[in-house]
Amino acid sequence: MTELTTAAPVLAKPEAVRQRSPLYFAWRRFTANKAALAAGIVLLIIVLMAIFAPVITTTGPNDQLFLTNSLNFPSAAHWFGVDDLGRDFFTRIVYGARVSLGIGFSAAVFSLLVGLPLGALAGYMGGKFDWVVMRVIELFSVVPPLLAALLLATVTRGGVWAIILIAAVFGWKDVCLLVRAQVKSFREKEFIMAAQALGASPWHIVWRHLIPNSVSPIIVGFVLAIPLAMMLEASLSFLGIGVQPPTPSWGQMINVGMNFMFFYWHMAVFPTAALAVTILAASLLGDGLRDAFDPTLKGR
Amino acid sequence: MTGFIIRRVISMLVTFIVVSIIIFLMMHSIPGGPFDGYDMPLPDDVKARLMATLGLDKPLWEQYVRYMWGVLHFDFGVPYQSPGESVISLVAHAWLPSVTLGGLGILVGAPLGILLGMAAALRRNSWIDYIASAVATLGLTIPVFIISTGLILVFAVWLKWTPASGWGEPRRWILPILAYAAVPLATYARYARSTMLDALNKPFVSVLRAKGLSERQVIFQHVLRNAAIPMVTIFPAMFVGIATGSIFVEAMFRVPGLGAYFVSSINKRDYPLEMALMLMISALYSVSYLIADILYAVLNPRIRVGGGRR
Amino acid sequence: MTAPALELRKITKRFGDFCAVNQVDLAVPRNRVVALVGESGSGKTTTGLLALRLIEATSGQILLDGHDISRIGQKEMKPYRRQLQVVFQDSYSSLDPMMTLGKIVGEPLQIHGVGSSAEQRDQVQVWLEKVGLDGSYANRYPHELSGGQRQRVAVARALILGASVLVADEPTSALDVSVKAQIVNLLQELQADIGLSMLFVSHDLSVVRSLADEVVVMLRGRVVERAPTDRIFTDARHPYTHALLDAMPVIDPKARRRRTFLSADEIAARTPRLHPSDLVAEPLSDSAEPQLVALAGSHFVEAIVTEHAA
Repeated sequence: MTELTTAAPVLAKPEAVRQRSPLYFAWRRFTANKAALAAGIVLLIIVLMAIFAPVITTTGPNDQLFLTNSLNFPSAAHWFGVDDLGRDFFTRIVYGARVSLGIGFSAAVFSLLVGLPLGALAGYMGGKFDWVVMRVIELFSVVPPLLAALLLATVTRGGVWAIILIAAVFGWKDVCLLVRAQVKSFREKEFIMAAQALGASPWHIVWRHLIPNSVSPIIVGFVLAIPLAMMLEASLSFLGIGVQPPTPSWGQMINVGMNFMFFYWHMAVFPTAALAVTILAASLLGDGLRDAFDPTLKGR
Repeated sequence: MTGFIIRRVISMLVTFIVVSIIIFLMMHSIPGGPFDGYDMPLPDDVKARLMATLGLDKPLWEQYVRYMWGVLHFDFGVPYQSPGESVISLVAHAWLPSVTLGGLGILVGAPLGILLGMAAALRRNSWIDYIASAVATLGLTIPVFIISTGLILVFAVWLKWTPASGWGEPRRWILPILAYAAVPLATYARYARSTMLDALNKPFVSVLRAKGLSERQVIFQHVLRNAAIPMVTIFPAMFVGIATGSIFVEAMFRVPGLGAYFVSSINKRDYPLEMALMLMISALYSVSYLIADILYAVLNPRIRVGGGRR
Repeated sequence: MTAPALELRKITKRFGDFCAVNQVDLAVPRNRVVALVGESGSGKTTTGLLALRLIEATSGQILLDGHDISRIGQKEMKPYRRQLQVVFQDSYSSLDPMMTLGKIVGEPLQIHGVGSSAEQRDQVQVWLEKVGLDGSYANRYPHELSGGQRQRVAVARALILGASVLVADEPTSALDVSVKAQIVNLLQELQADIGLSMLFVSHDLSVVRSLADEVVVMLRGRVVERAPTDRIFTDARHPYTHALLDAMPVIDPKARRRRTFLSADEIAARTPRLHPSDLVAEPLSDSAEPQLVALAGSHFVEAIVTEHAA
């Protein structure tokens, strides 16, 4: 029969190393992922360029100052050339970053504002509320987002705010699903039961336990919502019902560039490249963050 | 099992009906009827008579019911832009280019993607693996109209290997097919890689190797079967991506297909055509997901034999 | 005679048709440890959660220090929770991974608004040391500790409000044998130090032997035997108890052991049959169904009372 008595234990002392929170480990994993880190840096550069647009450009985006040089190819004076209406193309591209990124970020913020509380409550409360939320998400999944966005854009006649809201309408469900899954997986964990046993109110549990443990889906959901919104905006602008001229938007510039593509390659290449690079960087960053937060996910 | 199917079908029908109501309401909330967009405004009484003929003056719910009744009989009404034909016949003409190009795109992209993904899984962390991951990411994140632009720039403008647009001869199909192929290729490359990696890491594979089976036998007789299941189930979803992409691909390559009609119907406020196309696409989506769910349930022995704890 | 620290009267919990806990009676006297044993699925964990009001009972009463807390609202329950606390089996998932140990142990004080932040910090230090961890651990995170250390933190959290009744749900089951001993010792010391009444749920009879004053054996939701610890180990009457005792691992390979391998149905078929003269009290009902009857020495066993017992 195993005996179970030992001498009284001496007080255990921790080793003298720095405190390591779970977020610290996530950061380490992220920085080890070279592709994601590079993507993050690229995106940061683009964002900075957009913010400091007036500083790095010499003219306004709509100033038609170079009409006599219209459609000129890239040169020392005009890094990206001149467009068909005599505007410096580099300036247009940089201000286009403002529009496209601005729409992307705003739409992502709105997606978060709707998706986070719905997802957290649906995950925590379950039952009827969860059922309703899931049915609504199903509705949104059946309608092809782009086509519905086209319809909505025509109803609202385009414009920046309409696009932001439309992108949010189709972006919230991803954030909601991510948060809901996370909250559901944590709801059954014993530290939640322990908090309940301590007499914590549901609000305390959601605010102090569930949301801090949901940092991963919140950040990942936000970052991944940006390229989705940007794609939607670019697609709509490309078709002419997004951002209206003369406000520069990459999607719109690609549409125009198509007409000149055969002879004036710069009109198509630069907006295409800009859009592609930004969306790629944001997507890689989002994927990298997701892997950093949850290394147990398969597929890597 | 049949209970599961029935429930899914019912839920699909309900969703579809709700979606159709929403689309219908959205269509009719667009300010301006089909006759307001012309340069020469019609006299009011003519407009009123035209609206009455088309039944546009009745209450909304009545219009909806009449319409859905017609839909059940495959009668989607008459398009405003060419009143001589019916919507159905327009669609009948237009679906061929779309489906041909889209279908070929899938047929080209999917197998290539699967091979790429498998190769990547078998040679982990080699250069094949990195290329596959890069291709998969690019194909899924870059919007299809950018890919199309890139294709046109590279192959038509610079290299001058292929014509840039048009529908007539098969030579003109090459670029659109490549554009369509990007998404299936990327999706399948990613899926094939991850499912094969999952299967290769399962304990049963070690057991098989320990039993003395050659690597080739292990892969072809056992691993593939396990990896295949998820890949079959996402196949229906491919159509969904094609449908959305067709809007751009057809615009860029000037293909007279459904996507092109969709865009023009929006611009011309052609309600019947718009409604019909949206409904068809939504139906296609719903049915695709339904098939995928059912396929998964059928193929996954765990679900088929009634697994699941509790 | 003072009221027991914790008492459950005819507590029952149904999940649909399934009865997880069936009319269970038990009482934990002041400063005593009552062990609730049984295999997985016997309902012992559910009983513990019922006592804590973490699950709502279908029927029956829960009395804490004589106060009926069976049906009061969660808000009214809050002050009682200062008296009645819990330690769970899985120390990793019972501590919030994103909180430092200091915050975890201090959370009860925060929730109940006890003391200023400085006072709370001091209390946390006091309790960390009481459970054998240096105060500087307050800045650490759960993942930096071993399982045994995490359980100590869980105990500190449970007792910092001055709880007098502790429900321990298999607190040692996930720990190595040597660490089990440390935790058991810790609980015994704290019991002596601050006066603790415990409901100790476990399937591990060797741990129970060192710690418990009384053992309650559960099978499929019902109590089948209840007796002081030494009587259980020397004079068990129910076949299920025998099976549990025989299943305990024994270090000496040469020791002669009787191994009983019975299915639950076989056990049910061997319900002891007792003559009324064996009992020290009248059975509660005249029926021939198995019921809990009283034997000498505070020993209760589920048996069939019949004139025809051997």
